Amino acid sequence: MSEHDVLFDAMGSHVRLLIGDPEPGMAPPPAAAERARQFIAEFDAKLSRFKPGSELCALNDDPRPRVPASALLRRAVQAGLSAAERSGGLVDPTLADEIESAGYVGSRAGVPGAPLGAALAEAPPRQPATPNPQARWRRFEVDDEAESIARPPGLRFDTGGAGKGLAADLVAERLRGYSRFIVDCGGDIRIGGPGALVRPYEVFVEHPLTGKRTHVLRLGSGGVATSGLNVRIWRGPDGRYAHHLLDPATGDPAWTGLIGVTALGDTAVEAETLSKAALLSGAEGGRQILAEHGGLLVHDSGQVERVGPLSVRPRIRLPQTAPGGAV
Amino acid sequence: MTRRPRRPSFAPVFWGSLCLFAVLFALLAYQLGSGSDPSLGGAASRPILVRKIVKRRIVTTVVPSPGASTVSGGPVTTSSAPVVSSAAPAPVTTSAS
Repeated sequence: MSEHDVLFDAMGSHVRLLIGDPEPGMAPPPAAAERARQFIAEFDAKLSRFKPGSELCALNDDPRPRVPASALLRRAVQAGLSAAERSGGLVDPTLADEIESAGYVGSRAGVPGAPLGAALAEAPPRQPATPNPQARWRRFEVDDEAESIARPPGLRFDTGGAGKGLAADLVAERLRGYSRFIVDCGGDIRIGGPGALVRPYEVFVEHPLTGKRTHVLRLGSGGVATSGLNVRIWRGPDGRYAHHLLDPATGDPAWTGLIGVTALGDTAVEAETLSKAALLSGAEGGRQILAEHGGLLVHDSGQVERVGPLSVRPRIRLPQTAPGGAV
Repeated sequence: MTRRPRRPSFAPVFWGSLCLFAVLFALLAYQLGSGSDPSLGGAASRPILVRKIVKRRIVTTVVPSPGASTVSGGPVTTSSAPVVSSAAPAPVTTSAS
């Protein structure tokens, strides 16, 4: 049995779709893939922090306390707020100013990361990140009835924490009715379809230091995501190494003793949230965060630690729907 | 007193039977050798249909766009244009991005 396999660039990364056989009446897989590609392009155009014409930038620049917002933007903001709630504020979507101060002002697509080994050698003492006590993300309100978003003017939102995972989940919603499918948005992956329960996909986990495959996951449903320091890492304006995973309490890059975390979840958004929260929490907190769904911790030394129910056996579970309504 | 007919002698009966057997045997052998076996019904049999069965296979060749990489045979790589493959899917990789 062959599947339609398509690969393209979007959201500053790669996107890959594998789509199986359609149910009667469904569009052929190539047509479904093209619609998914168009949706991801629209998603990127509306929600990118790096595109001045995006709806997200318009929201961040709008001086009004309540701003009309499309269903897609409301869904993205709600996903970011849910990630913050789930992680106790560690995955904070209101760090747009801080990450730009750290030097991440434009897309780094195609820009090679600084050497992680050298960055680790110069990094400050390791310690877990902690939430910002102000919890600014709580000041965002999404109103679906009024189709608007309220927040204090000037408080900017960054969808980077959950953007690719959300895109994968939304595409997965559009692929219901196909025998099995996998949506890979830059390494944030969603799997679905009844056929995947019988014939799980193999997902390789890449080691952040060596780039080699360090583990194979066999997944029949749900999401998997990886957060790491090895890709979006650079020398900041002050000459110090910086990366995109910030400690919400300080606004500085977090050096927690972990350089990569792969997490499993019911959805790609959940997996992405758990992977970021675990990396920011350090090894001890990371183990607790990954205990329920399972995952991998990669320590500064390169050691890989398996946590929770993660194993090579197929995960046979009924498909679950992403929270919230369709966009 | 009736006179019993005289029994034929042994020799003409023997040689006559042998010649008749040889003639009939030769006739049947000729028919069999020519393909018209009388035990199979000869010309009255139904014609045999010979049907060629052709197995159809669809072969798809993937030609990558200039500057793009195919996705088969290794981890996912980036490309500037959509690359489509109908071959067996290569493994998917999760990594930081």
